[in-house]
Amino acid sequence: MPLRCLTALFFVFTALSVVGETFKDHVRPILNRHCTKCHGGVKQAGGVSFVYEKSVLGKGKSGDTIVVPGKPEESALYKRISTSDEDDRMPPADEHPEPLPSHEIESIRKWIEAGAPWDNHWSFEAIQNPALPAVSNKDWPRQKLDHFVLNKMTEKGLSPASDANPERWLRRASLDLIGLPPTMDELDSFLTSVKADGEKAYKNEVDRLLSSPHYGERWASMWMDQIRYADSKGLGLDGKRSIWKYRDWLIDAFNEDLPYDQFTIKQLAGDLLPDPSMEDLIATAAHRNTQANNEGGTDDEEFRMMAVLDRVNTTWQVWQATTFGCVQCHNHPYDPYTNEEYYKFTDFFNNTTDADTQQDHPLLRVPLDKKDYPKAAKLHHKIRSLEEEIWSPGYALLKNNTNWKGLKEIKAKTSNHTKLVVEETLTHDEFRTVGTIQQKAVFTIDAPLPDDQKKLTAIRLTGMPQDLETALKDAEWGWVVTGLQFHLITPGENSKPQELKIAQAVADEPHPLYDPMESFKKGNRGFAAYTKINHPRQAAFILEPPVELPENASLRVTMKHDLFILASFSLVTQRGHIATSGSEDWQAFLKDESILAKRSELAKARSAHNAIKSVSTPYMTERHDSLTRPSHMFVRGNFLEKDRPVTADVPDALRSSGERPDDRLSMAKWLVSGKNPLTARVAANRIWEQLFGKGIVVTLEDFGSSGASPTHPLLLDHLASRFQKNHQWSQKKLLREIVLSSTYRQSSVISPEKLANDPSNQWLSRAPRFRLSAEAIRDQALAVSGLLSRKLHGEPVRPPIPDGVWKPFSKDPWKAATGEDRFRRALYVYIKRSIPYPSFASFDAPSREFCSPRRLSSNTPLQALVTLNDTAFMECSEALAKRMASHSDDLDDQLAFGYRLATCERPDEERTNALKKLYQETQSLIQDEAKAKELALINVASVLLNLGEVLTR
Amino acid sequence: MNQNLLQHVRKAQLDHTTRRHFLRDCTTGLGAMWLAAQSAQAAGGKFAPPVHSASNPLDALPAHFAPKVKRVIYLHMIGAPSQLELFDYKPMLEKYDGKDCPQSYLEGKRFAFIKGTPKLLGNQYPFKKHGQSGQFISDRLPHLARHADDLCVIRTMQTDQFNHGPAQLMVHTGNARMGYPSIGSWVTWGLGSENDDLPGFLVLLSGGRLPRVGKALWSSGFLPSVYQGVQCRSQGDPVLNVSNPKDISRGMRRAALDSLKQLNRKTHEEFGDPETLTRIAQYEMAFRMQTAVPEAMDISKEPESIHQLYGTNPGKESFANNCLLARRLAERGVRYIQLFDWGWDSHGAGKNEALNEGFKDKCKQMDQPVAALLTDLKQRGMLDDTLVVWGGEFGRTPMRENRGGGEMKFVGRDHNPGAFTTWMAGGGIKSGFSYGETDDLGYQSAINPVHIRDLHATFLHLMGFDHHKLSVPFQGLEQKLTGVLPAKVIKDILA
Repeated sequence: MPLRCLTALFFVFTALSVVGETFKDHVRPILNRHCTKCHGGVKQAGGVSFVYEKSVLGKGKSGDTIVVPGKPEESALYKRISTSDEDDRMPPADEHPEPLPSHEIESIRKWIEAGAPWDNHWSFEAIQNPALPAVSNKDWPRQKLDHFVLNKMTEKGLSPASDANPERWLRRASLDLIGLPPTMDELDSFLTSVKADGEKAYKNEVDRLLSSPHYGERWASMWMDQIRYADSKGLGLDGKRSIWKYRDWLIDAFNEDLPYDQFTIKQLAGDLLPDPSMEDLIATAAHRNTQANNEGGTDDEEFRMMAVLDRVNTTWQVWQATTFGCVQCHNHPYDPYTNEEYYKFTDFFNNTTDADTQQDHPLLRVPLDKKDYPKAAKLHHKIRSLEEEIWSPGYALLKNNTNWKGLKEIKAKTSNHTKLVVEETLTHDEFRTVGTIQQKAVFTIDAPLPDDQKKLTAIRLTGMPQDLETALKDAEWGWVVTGLQFHLITPGENSKPQELKIAQAVADEPHPLYDPMESFKKGNRGFAAYTKINHPRQAAFILEPPVELPENASLRVTMKHDLFILASFSLVTQRGHIATSGSEDWQAFLKDESILAKRSELAKARSAHNAIKSVSTPYMTERHDSLTRPSHMFVRGNFLEKDRPVTADVPDALRSSGERPDDRLSMAKWLVSGKNPLTARVAANRIWEQLFGKGIVVTLEDFGSSGASPTHPLLLDHLASRFQKNHQWSQKKLLREIVLSSTYRQSSVISPEKLANDPSNQWLSRAPRFRLSAEAIRDQALAVSGLLSRKLHGEPVRPPIPDGVWKPFSKDPWKAATGEDRFRRALYVYIKRSIPYPSFASFDAPSREFCSPRRLSSNTPLQALVTLNDTAFMECSEALAKRMASHSDDLDDQLAFGYRLATCERPDEERTNALKKLYQETQSLIQDEAKAKELALINVASVLLNLGEVLTR
Repeated sequence: MNQNLLQHVRKAQLDHTTRRHFLRDCTTGLGAMWLAAQSAQAAGGKFAPPVHSASNPLDALPAHFAPKVKRVIYLHMIGAPSQLELFDYKPMLEKYDGKDCPQSYLEGKRFAFIKGTPKLLGNQYPFKKHGQSGQFISDRLPHLARHADDLCVIRTMQTDQFNHGPAQLMVHTGNARMGYPSIGSWVTWGLGSENDDLPGFLVLLSGGRLPRVGKALWSSGFLPSVYQGVQCRSQGDPVLNVSNPKDISRGMRRAALDSLKQLNRKTHEEFGDPETLTRIAQYEMAFRMQTAVPEAMDISKEPESIHQLYGTNPGKESFANNCLLARRLAERGVRYIQLFDWGWDSHGAGKNEALNEGFKDKCKQMDQPVAALLTDLKQRGMLDDTLVVWGGEFGRTPMRENRGGGEMKFVGRDHNPGAFTTWMAGGGIKSGFSYGETDDLGYQSAINPVHIRDLHATFLHLMGFDHHKLSVPFQGLEQKLTGVLPAKVIKDILA
C-alpha cells in the first residue's frame, strides 16, 4: 500500500516536471531500472547498450537506429517500448508482464523529441561554484555553506534547531577534530571565553584544536581505513609487517595540513618526484599496505598481481568513489568504463619492484629519529646515483656482444634427480632442466674454451625462463645462484682445476636486489631472478687477475641452488648459457680511477647510511627500463589467461582534453589537476561524513549511477569547489568552515515532528547524534580516566588483550605493555589482520584487508560487554574512580566531577540522585567498608563510561 | 484455488518460523540494531537493502518457500581431510599405486607442492559398504559408518582455490578474498536468532590456533557486525568479556545497569533519539548473556552416558567437547553453529600430518564425537530440522606428494581443488544417499560436479531462501553469498 502511494506521488511529481526531460534526471533512471540489466555494460543484448552515448545513437544488430534525435517514431527505443505487439515489446513480455508505465514512455518520447540531448551522470559533470541560494532567515547562516543547508531545509518544510550549548559544541568539535574530549581546563577556559568574547571564542577554539598535534592522529585514523593500513601482511600467514613509519607520516601530513593534491601525489608516486625527500618515499608505502601471501605453495606472481589489482581498485575507491573492481571481469554494468580501460590502468602499477616476496622487498631504511631524515635521504640518493654511475659503463660492456664468445659443446650434470639437457644454438649451447626439479640441485657445467681465445678476462652467465615468449606475460619461477665457482681445467694428467678469482660482477640492472658477488659468499643470496622471471637475466663476472689460456683449456662452472622457498619452490636456474670474454676493457673497467674513486665513495656512503638507526619499511620503486613487464588484459578477470597487451592510460570518461597520463606520477597529477570532477567531491564528501555521520552522498564508496544521489548537490559542489580552489586543498581550512557553521552548531535534540518528517535527518535540521568510532571510544575512556598517554608516533603498541584471543598462525608474541604504551591512543595499537583487536572489532572497525570507504555502525550486546568488562575499560573505570575520589571528599562533588569529565556537563539533580543511589546500593552489597567505598565509586565510574551520551556525540 | 491454498500454507509457516522471531528481535533483540543501522542509511534511497525496512520489516523477508531446517551445524576439518582415505574408494587407483602419474592428468594443472611427475598413491585404508544404502566408508571411521544411512554424501565437491587461506574463505564466504559475509552471517541476517539471550551465530574451535585467515571466516563482511560469528572459547571467558571483572558481583552489575537505564532514559527524554532505547536493550541482553552463555557452555552437568557417547572430557579443549556443545547450542536456538577442527593437512612432510601416522589419530578424535552428535540429535528429535555438514576446503590428490622433487619419508597427498567429499545429514535432504562420481583415480569430479556455490545455494534453499534473492547492494553490486557466477540448488539431493 505505501509503495503504491509512493508511485502515485512519483507520477504526480514527474507529470508536473516534464517541462524539459533531462537525460540524467528522468531518462537514465528509467533505463537503469528497466533496460541496462540486458542492455548495459556487461550484457549488450542485440548489440544495444544504454550506457554509452555512441551506442544509443547508433544501430542495434537488427539494423534499426536506437534513437533518432527529434524523431521518436523512427527510434527503435520508443517504438519497442510503446508497441502494443506483445512479441515485439520491450522489456520482453514473457519476463515483464506489464509494459513500462505510460508516464515513463512519455518521458522517453519527450526526450527524443527534444533532440535526445545526452548528458552525463551528475558526478561526471565539472564541479560548479554555485551561487548562494536565497534563504528566508538571513540571520541564521554563519558560513556560506549554511545557505545551502537552510535553503533545502526550508524547501522540505523544516526549520533549524537552536544552537547547542557551548559545552556540547566543544565536546563535539573536540571529538571530531582531535578525537579526544576536552580537558576540564580546556572546557572551563572556553566557557569563560564564550562569555567574554562570544563568537570569537569559537573561532579561537577551532584554531586551537586544528593546531593540536592530536589532530593528525585523529585524521590519520580515518585515512588508515581508506588505505587499508595494518601491521601485518594478511592472507596465508599474516606475519608482521613493519610499516608504521607510514602511519607516522600520515599523522605529520595531517598536522602540517599537507594540501590534498600533494598528499595524493606523494602517496601514489612520491618515488617518482624529482629528488624525493625521505617523507616522499615513506608516503609511497600507502600502496605497500596490500596483502602478501607467504603461505607454503603460493605463487608469488599471483599475489603480486592481486596486489596490483588491489592498488588499482583502492585508488579508484579512495580517490574516485568508483567501484572500478567491477570492471576487472567485464565493462562496468552502469557506468561508462570498459574492461580494457581497467587493464590500461593496471599498467600504471604493473612495473613496481615489489613482488610478494617473503621479505616484503623493496625496503627503505627509514631513520627512527625524524631529525635524521634529511641526512638519510641524501645518503640514499647518493648511494643510488653512485650505484648507477658505477654500473653503467660495466653494463655497456656486458651488453656489447662483440665482447663475448658463447661456449659450445658444453657438458652439464647435476648433483641429484634434477635432469639437465644441452641444446645447440648458432652462437652457444644452452643447458636446460627437464622433468621434476629436485631442491638444492648443484649444476656442474664443463665447456672447452674457444680456440681463438688467448686470454680470459670475464665470464658471462645468462639465466633464462623456459619459454621466452610466455614468460613475458606469465612470469616463471626464477632462481638464486647461492654458490658459484669457476675453474680452469687444463689438459694433462697432473693438472688440477685452477679456481678463478672474481673481483667484480656487473648485473643487468643498476640496483639488483642481491649483488651477484654474493654468490661467492655464504648464505642464500647471489646472482638471481628472485623470485620470478620474465626476461633473460645476465651478469658478467670479472677476473682478477685475468688468466692466459693454455691450448685446449676448458672452463668448469659450478652453480649451487640452496634456496627453497614457501616449502615448495626450488629456485633453480632452469635454462641458461655461458660466454667468455678476452677483452682488455674489463681490466680497464676494474682499474678506472674515477670508478675506483666512486666505489670507495659508495662504500663510505653505505657505512654512513648503515650507521643511522633505522627501521626497514616497504616502499615503492619502479623496475629498471630493461626489465619492464608488458601489461595485458585478462580473460574474464583471470590472471592466468592473458589477452591483448595494453599500455597505461586513464578512462575516456574522466579525461579532460589534452590529458594523457602515462606513468604513476602523471596519473596522480591527473587525479588532482583540478579538472577531475570526482576527486574534490569525493574528498569533501568524506570530510562531511566524518563530521555529520553521513555523507552528502550517502554511498561514500560509490559516486556512480548505482550509488546514491547527493541530498544537497549544490552544497557538495560548494564544498568541493572551496576545498579545491579557495582553500587550495587545505583540509584544515575546509574543516574550520564546517565546524564554525550554524549547521554544525545545532542542537541534536530530536523533536517528535522532526523524527516524523525527517527520521534519518537527511535535511540536517538538527545535529546528528551518532556513536563514536571504535578508536574514539578507547581514546575517550583513557582521556576521561586520566590514563591517556599523549605521546605521538612510534612502533605499534600492545595494550592488554583478553586471554586466549592471541593465537597467531605464525610466531608473533603479544606481551601486554606495562608502562606508558599500555595507555596509548587506539591508532597505535598493533593491527593484525587475522586477529583484530577485540574491542575495536566489536565497535565496527574494519580489519583492513581492503579499503573500507565507510563503516557501518551497529549497536550490539557484545559492545556492552566490552565497555563493561574488558580489562582495558575496567582499568579506565578504576582510574576514573580514583580521579573522582582525589578530587574532593564530598560524594556529590565527586559524582559531579566524574559526570562532567565524561560528558562535559554538570549533572542535574535527578542524575546526581541516580548516581548516588547506585553508590549507596553498591556500598551496601559489600562488607568491608574501605573496599565498599572504593568499589562503589568504580561501579559509578563504569556507568559513567557506559552512558549513551558518552558513547555518542 | 490450490495455488492460493499452497501460498497460504507457506505464508503461515513463514509467519511461524521467521516473522515471529524477527518481530520480537526487532523490538528487543539483535534485529533491532540492523534497523537502527538502516535508518541511518535511509537517505541512501536506492542503496538501502531491499529487505528489512525501518517502518515495515515484514516486507523485507524473502518469503519464497518453507524452510526445511531451522539451524545449521557446520563441521569444518581445517587443512582438507583426504577423501581418498575416508569416503572415495578407487580400486583403479590401488591398481596403479606407485606408477608415474599419466601426463594427461598433469597438463594445465597447478599444484602447491607437487613437482614434475609424481607417482600415484592408492587408497591407504580398506573400504567397505555400510548400511542398507551401501555407502563406501573406510575403516578409519567405524562410528560414523554406523550412520551411513543418515548421510547424504557428495563426492564431487569442487572449488576454485588450491591454497588453504583463500579456499577456506571460499567455503565460508563464497569469495576467495577477505571482507565478505560468511554463511552464518547471511543466515542470521535473514532469520535472526531464536534465543534472546544468545547470539545467533557461534563459532567453536579445536586445535589450539586460529585458522590462517582467522576471523575472516566468520566475519559479517559488509553486513553490520551484529551478524558476525561470536567465537566461543574453551579457555578464559566462554564468550569474550562475558564474565564480570574481579570484584564486580552480579548484584553490583544489576545495580549499575539499573542506574544506567535510568540515566539513559533521561537522555532519551531530552534528546528523543530512538538509538538510546536500543542501547538500553543491548545492555539488558548483555546482562542475560552473562548467565545464558556460561550455562550453555557448561557440559559438566551432562549425564555420564552422554560423555561416554561423545568421548568428552570437560574442562579440556577438544573436538568432542565442541560436538557436544554444538548440540547444546542447537537446543537453545542458536541459528548457525560453526565448528573448526584442525590438523587435517596430510602432506606427509612430517609425522603429524602423514596419512600413515598423524591422520590415524585425527580420524579417531573426529569419528566418535561426530557420530555421537548425529545419534544425540536423532534421539532428541532434532535431526529433522537441523542440517549437519561435514567437509574440508578442498580435496587431496591421488598422487603422492613429492615435495622438493624427491621421495618423502612419510606418505602424504597434495591439495586438490578438483574433487573432495562433503556430507550432510538432517532435515530436507535425502539420507543414505550418494551424489556424484569422481573419475577412476578420484582426481576430478566426473559425474554431477558440485561447486561450493551450489552447496551454498542448497543451504540457503533449505533455510527457506532463494540464493538469487538474498542480496544486499554494496559497491555497486547486488552482493550475494553465491556471488556473480552461476550457482544452482542441487535438487537431486533434496528430500
